[in-house]
Amino acid sequence: MSHHIVQAENLAYTYPDGNNALKNISFLITHGESVAIVGANGAGKSTLLMHLNGHLLPGKGSLRIGDFPLTKETVHNIRRSVGMVFQDSDDQLFMPTVYDDVAFGPLNMGLPADVVNERVKSTLETVGVLHLINRPTHRLSGGEKRSVAIATVLSMSPDILVMDEPTSNLDPKARRRLINLLKSFKHTKIIATHDLDGA
Amino acid sequence: MDLLSYQDTPLHKIDPRAKLITALFFILTVVSFGKYEISMLVPFIFFPVYLLTSGNIPVVYILKKILYVSPFAVMIGVFNPFFDQGVILQVGNTGIPGGWISFLSIMMRFALTVSTALALISCTGFNNICFAINRLGAPKIFAVQLLFLYRYIFVLAEEAARMVRARNLRSFDGKGKGIKTYGPMLGNLLLRTINRAERIHLAMICRGFDGNIRIMKKYKFGLRELLFVASWGSLFLLFRFVNIPQFAGNFITGLFV
Repeated sequence: MSHHIVQAENLAYTYPDGNNALKNISFLITHGESVAIVGANGAGKSTLLMHLNGHLLPGKGSLRIGDFPLTKETVHNIRRSVGMVFQDSDDQLFMPTVYDDVAFGPLNMGLPADVVNERVKSTLETVGVLHLINRPTHRLSGGEKRSVAIATVLSMSPDILVMDEPTSNLDPKARRRLINLLKSFKHTKIIATHDLDGA
Repeated sequence: MDLLSYQDTPLHKIDPRAKLITALFFILTVVSFGKYEISMLVPFIFFPVYLLTSGNIPVVYILKKILYVSPFAVMIGVFNPFFDQGVILQVGNTGIPGGWISFLSIMMRFALTVSTALALISCTGFNNICFAINRLGAPKIFAVQLLFLYRYIFVLAEEAARMVRARNLRSFDGKGKGIKTYGPMLGNLLLRTINRAERIHLAMICRGFDGNIRIMKKYKFGLRELLFVASWGSLFLLFRFVNIPQFAGNFITGLFV
């Protein structure tokens, strides 16, 4: 399979304030790989992840995701194939109920209502929180929020999952559950973490 | 409050649009009375009472909420008794000045409209009301703003509370609690809010947001909704144009004459 690859060549990025966050990074991640990005605070992990969903465009060098090199024109296609789970679940869950939030992506992709309905239920079941389906998102616990946040991304059936510190702020049990859940996914996974067990 | 909106009574199942239209019509009719009207306002209590009972909403809870916001209404009406001293009602030997009547009228209107609004939210859910507003033709941006306001006001309040707690733990003998620290704290809160807004926007773009919030339609505006709006609407019109309390009073005194 060649079309789920992520390839960076001499990728570099400097923030407008002069902070040189990425310096000539090159790597190749092929289909189905699980890759952990480990580094100290401020090492540039988040900056790299921001490139993977096209929020930041390469300053120098190039990034290829799937069939597309990352440019302004291809960014929409890339966002469809890359599912991004944010560090703070409150940022990710912006709709009033769990159902609406998980349905948000598929509805934007233009899927018909019954398919969306089916997808919402099956993804919530996958992450094990189907019972939360009608709850308001701001009343969930931290672990529940994280699970739902992952479901919101999975419901778009991305090829590549990108996660920013998915195990942060979780208690050991929730963390263990999450790690097992991630193991069961067949997607290409790119995970920035400080959790060396999880890595 | 929104936990109450997850119940499953027949009232909860009615399309939010129907409830919203009815409640707006209710508020309009209540507000449209003259400033000395009291007796004709009384029958209107039926609607909030109906919402509370059939929506299975604890009355004490709503009453408390009304009490919280009542200072605003009191402030509006509190000067009427001073400015408007002309006697317009005679009860026995004491004359009641118009100011007191209009004050009472303001308070009654306040209680009726606010209890209806609170009951509406409790039996519909704030988010459903936003979608109803949107589907009734209000600008999309307005509905989306309301929706996000409601979603993130909790997050903002928590963030602010954490900052205040952090400050309190490091202020001693009243030092550090003055107005001097408020400025930077507010500024900091604003910056955090902007950062969060950027992250949320990014999260939305990642999931294909293009300016439209799409939502699955869970409700249908059917015969039941039409009946709900029409029957309550005509009842409000009856209450508005026929003085029911006077009619009832005449009828009862008529029995004894």
